[in-house]
Amino acid sequence: MSVQTSVEETVKKIAMRILRKPEATFSTAASFKDYDADSLDIVQILVAVEDTFDIELDDEELKNINNIGGFVGYIERKVAEKAKR
Amino acid sequence: MSLKGKVALVTGGSRGIGRAITLKLASEGADVIINYFRKTSSAEATAQEAQAKGVRAHIIKANLAEAEKIDSMFDEIAAKFGRLDILVSNAASGVARAGLELDTRGWQWTMDINARAFLLCAQRAARLMPSGGKMVAISSLGSRLVWPIYTAVGVSKAALEMLVRYLAIELAPKGIAVNGVAPGAVETEALKLYSQAAPGQAVKSTPVGRMVQPEDVANVVTFLCTDAADMVRGQIIVIDGGMSLTTSGPLVVEGGSHG
Ligand SMILES: NC(=O)c1ccc[n+]([C@@H]2O[C@H](COP(=O)([O-])OP(=O)(O)OC[C@H]3O[C@@H](n4cnc5c(N)ncnc54)[C@H](OP(=O)(O)O)[C@@H]3O)[C@@H](O)[C@H]2O)c1
Repeated sequence: MSVQTSVEETVKKIAMRILRKPEATFSTAASFKDYDADSLDIVQILVAVEDTFDIELDDEELKNINNIGGFVGYIERKVAEKAKR
Repeated sequence: MSLKGKVALVTGGSRGIGRAITLKLASEGADVIINYFRKTSSAEATAQEAQAKGVRAHIIKANLAEAEKIDSMFDEIAAKFGRLDILVSNAASGVARAGLELDTRGWQWTMDINARAFLLCAQRAARLMPSGGKMVAISSLGSRLVWPIYTAVGVSKAALEMLVRYLAIELAPKGIAVNGVAPGAVETEALKLYSQAAPGQAVKSTPVGRMVQPEDVANVVTFLCTDAADMVRGQIIVIDGGMSLTTSGPLVVEGGSHG
């Protein structure tokens, strides 16, 4: 499994569990708002992602991301940065 | 008011009111443990400021909504410091919604962080205070005043205050003093989430003529952490510049987010 699929797969599992939506409806083109996410859902997704990958996501940087694909890419960059350290 | 040599844990001690409490305790000589949720950079910055006052400062990331994270935080404190003299339960979160809009998850999240976490922290902290100690919980005037969309947080703060009273009695024979403070609107980042009122309005409804600052809260909390306050037990001290004694209008709150 490439790093890319594994991050996307993990995000799918985390997000769909927290949003209480079937994994089959997951789309990287969608935004969390499309799944009726409220602010608590978002925080819980962020915390679960941070714990799982042992990274820290920056709320300011997250503001520039507008879909799940962008979110996955951002996580991949953070994971790669961590690996370099 | 020296706290030299004491070890203090401030939950949510990295930012806002918690940061002011951390720095005040440090300036009185206490070693400080700063718990935080997500923003490591804020915690590190506050730890550096505390160290500059000549004390030890240690940061611990732990989401207080999770009982296991609270446990590992205290395991770390026990291993690193061996004891605790002061617990300041300051971290808070909550969903900002009207009662009819509240769901069970939002309720649970708010109650877990604002009320249950104090119970779990106090249980673990008491074991690290064999020769006595101080606990202070940060409540809010919203425990007794009704503000729109503050429902879950207000209820959680009412529970927190009752917990302060029970623990004060239970822990008095162990030499542990438990009290709380209830600030009105304090000038912090978090205030912006709940208040749409212009700062001028909050000032107008405060007889003292200025907003409560984080440092005002830190001063009272620090006093409660000293032996000078030894006979104050199970009390909630209101810090609002007299605001709640007048009827010059409520704090207008609207919108919504956790925070
Ligand atoms: N501001 C006001 O007007 C006001 C009025 C009355 C009472 N209060 C009370 O004063 C206290 C501090 O409020 P504030 O305005 O200073 O808040 P703040 O600026 O939002 O700071 C909150 C602090 O708590 C931490 N935190 C949040 N959720 C947490 C969690 N789940 N686990 C562990 N730590 C968590 C944050 O860490 P990160 O930065 O890492 O997320 C941060 O250090 C709260 O109890 C609040 O209810 C505030």
